Amino acid sequence: MNRRDFIKTTVMAGLSVSLPVNLDLLIGNLHALETVDIAVAQGPSPAIITTAAINAIGGIGRFISRGDIVVVKPNIGWDRTPEQAATTNPEVVATIIRLCYEAGAKTVKVFDNPVNDERRCYKQSGIADAARNAGADVSFMDKRKFKDVKLGGLSLKEWPLYTDILEADKVINVPIAKTHGLATLTLGMKNWMGVMGGWRWRIHQRLDKSLVDVAQVIKPTLTILDAVRVLTDNGPQGGSLQDVKRLDTVIAGTDQVAIDSFGATLFGLTGHDLGYVRIGNEAGLGVMDLSRLNIKKIIL
Amino acid sequence: MRNLRRTTQGIFLLIFLFLFVQTESKGGDELGYPVKIWLDFDPLIFISTLLSSHSVTRALLLSLIVVVVTIFLGRIFCGWICPLGTLNTMTGALKRKASAPVHHTWYRTKYYILLIVLASSLFTAQLAGIMDPISLLIRSLSLSIYPLVNYMTVSFFDTIYDLHPPGVVAVSELLYTLAKKTFLAFNQPHFFQGIFIGLLFILILGLNLIERRFWCKYLCPLGALLGILSRYSVLKRSISEGCTSCGICETACPGGAVIDRDGTWKSQECLYCMDCDDLCPRNAVSFGFTGKTEAVSLNLGRRNVITSICAGILAVPLLRIRPLSGSGYFNRKLIRPPGSLDEQAFLRRCVRCGECMKVCITNGLQPTLLDAGVEGLWTPKLVPRVGYCEYRCTLCGQVCPTGAIKRLTLEEKEKTKIGIAMIDKGRCLPYAFGTPCLVCEEVCPTPRKSIWLEQVPVRDRDGNETMIQQPKIDSTLCVGCGICETFCPVRGEPAIYVISTNESRSMDNKLVLD
Repeated sequence: MNRRDFIKTTVMAGLSVSLPVNLDLLIGNLHALETVDIAVAQGPSPAIITTAAINAIGGIGRFISRGDIVVVKPNIGWDRTPEQAATTNPEVVATIIRLCYEAGAKTVKVFDNPVNDERRCYKQSGIADAARNAGADVSFMDKRKFKDVKLGGLSLKEWPLYTDILEADKVINVPIAKTHGLATLTLGMKNWMGVMGGWRWRIHQRLDKSLVDVAQVIKPTLTILDAVRVLTDNGPQGGSLQDVKRLDTVIAGTDQVAIDSFGATLFGLTGHDLGYVRIGNEAGLGVMDLSRLNIKKIIL
Repeated sequence: MRNLRRTTQGIFLLIFLFLFVQTESKGGDELGYPVKIWLDFDPLIFISTLLSSHSVTRALLLSLIVVVVTIFLGRIFCGWICPLGTLNTMTGALKRKASAPVHHTWYRTKYYILLIVLASSLFTAQLAGIMDPISLLIRSLSLSIYPLVNYMTVSFFDTIYDLHPPGVVAVSELLYTLAKKTFLAFNQPHFFQGIFIGLLFILILGLNLIERRFWCKYLCPLGALLGILSRYSVLKRSISEGCTSCGICETACPGGAVIDRDGTWKSQECLYCMDCDDLCPRNAVSFGFTGKTEAVSLNLGRRNVITSICAGILAVPLLRIRPLSGSGYFNRKLIRPPGSLDEQAFLRRCVRCGECMKVCITNGLQPTLLDAGVEGLWTPKLVPRVGYCEYRCTLCGQVCPTGAIKRLTLEEKEKTKIGIAMIDKGRCLPYAFGTPCLVCEEVCPTPRKSIWLEQVPVRDRDGNETMIQQPKIDSTLCVGCGICETFCPVRGEPAIYVISTNESRSMDNKLVLD
């Protein structure tokens, strides 16, 4: 995407957000606009819907300040191509990075701790190239940068986590929505497995509680769920295009439990069907009940 | 001349090392450099593979260039190009004084080794790679020296990083980044037998302290092959009348080619380093295409030749009277890389150069000791507890010089089975302890997962019933990549493990009727 495309995208997205508001807004219902909890943007261009969703919850400027060091954490967990929908859409990631820089971010870092070989995952997912082109600092995780963190959680007392994410000024979680054998679905909170060090496969024994424990420590500024393509079976790795469904949707919000609860509805489930959403809700990490939230849908 | 030779040797060594370091994935499907080209140029690999497998590997035809060059110019490959030769020259410099060869008949040894190797390859055993200098060098560097250098460098920088002396870290981290970009491995490589292979290599270099270029003079089978070819070389050494038989050239000759002070010359031993030309105080030595020369013929002794050939022939059945070949016994732990030929054909071609193990993205390919019999020493096998076979990676087949591992397309690779996973219910968490787990299912890479889950009611010790998912293996889909074994959270012996059964390359080592 070049500069001209980017400006066009931003302007179009901006227009589209302001259109449905029109008269109501003028009458003075400003409050409603400010408290959009979840924005759901649907349309053919991942860049445009990503921008629109962020604009709908207040615009990137609400979250990113000048000089911030931002971590954008996509799912780069598998040696798969974007079409196979096992890793976050590279265009969504690149758009977020560009917006962060527009808002004055000093550095945007991108990394993940993949399951398959890092080199292949970074390259084949298309994320490394897209993120670098957008100006991000893309790095493989440095084993020396994991530090034991006291979690004192429901399941995990202590676990090595990546310091870059703990020390960042702002964290934007950019998961992709997929099925998962044990967790049923992998959405926002499950994406934190990618900043865990150690022999992280052990947490599967108490997966739901462990995920909440980690999510309690890494509170993202923003969660942007990529549902441009979702994996409906054989997740989280997929591999067959028959299991990929195009939803052309991006969902943005600040409450990671709420985002995951909404994400469940993409698969015909509710937040209640996901253990970590229920536990996260009980632990006060976020809100599971979608009826209590202001959800704004945008179609482009 | 001497400096020109040294520069040439240095350049070729650097090319060799550069390609060696590039034998590593950067995330794409291909490497982007012809990393196995040194082996392609190796006539010993070519001829032994030709004899043992009765087929021509096309890339190896490049070695004919070396053959032609040797016929015209003698063993200049040994003197000017061979990276192991260069390393021998370099370590030889540590020996204070050069000395004329003490053992005037030892040079024949390498010809006997060559005869044993070629005789056995004629009878289908591929033993050339064990002592072929290029193969030996790549193997020794891959499995031992490079991991050592990498470990040393990384721990050096890690120590500084941990101590964190102010001001120093910024510099050391900069150097570390530079090292990573130039010569360090992406992940620290580690190999079984690394120490053993490394000590052998150090021993070979150490022999230079007994006599410079000990290996090249006495042991190298490629040197022997090129020596035989160079007997007819057009470039010859000649002595003019100014020679006073001072003996300087005899002492200095790294190939032991100059014998007797009268200037007789063993053309097949000459490395064409041309040091004698440089050193001669009277300028009496010269190399040229014309001129009178007194070359001594190569006399190996008929008895010794026959003995060597017989030894090579007898080695073949001796290596094969073991339960591994054709007896219906299959070593379940011998998981060959994807695209490997059927075991017998595989052993006919594999030269144990270690390229596949060097390039293996997960470090899962390890050298065998006796898993494939003595005949299969140092051939590759997958050890999934160390590393699994990356589902969409085809690099091992790309770097194999002899086609022992076929080059697979991505589509072929995804369908190639190298084994099958088995579950140990006595260790598997959902079976043995009623604890949820399913890591194996999550990481299973086949598009339709080869590991599926059955929802089963289990009771705890108090009689409470809960539902739990237990993994099952779909024997028709499993490709045996071993990722489930690598990531199985049950440490020590895994609860899910791969055996070689069901491998695509074998007609008989099958579990599933398909």
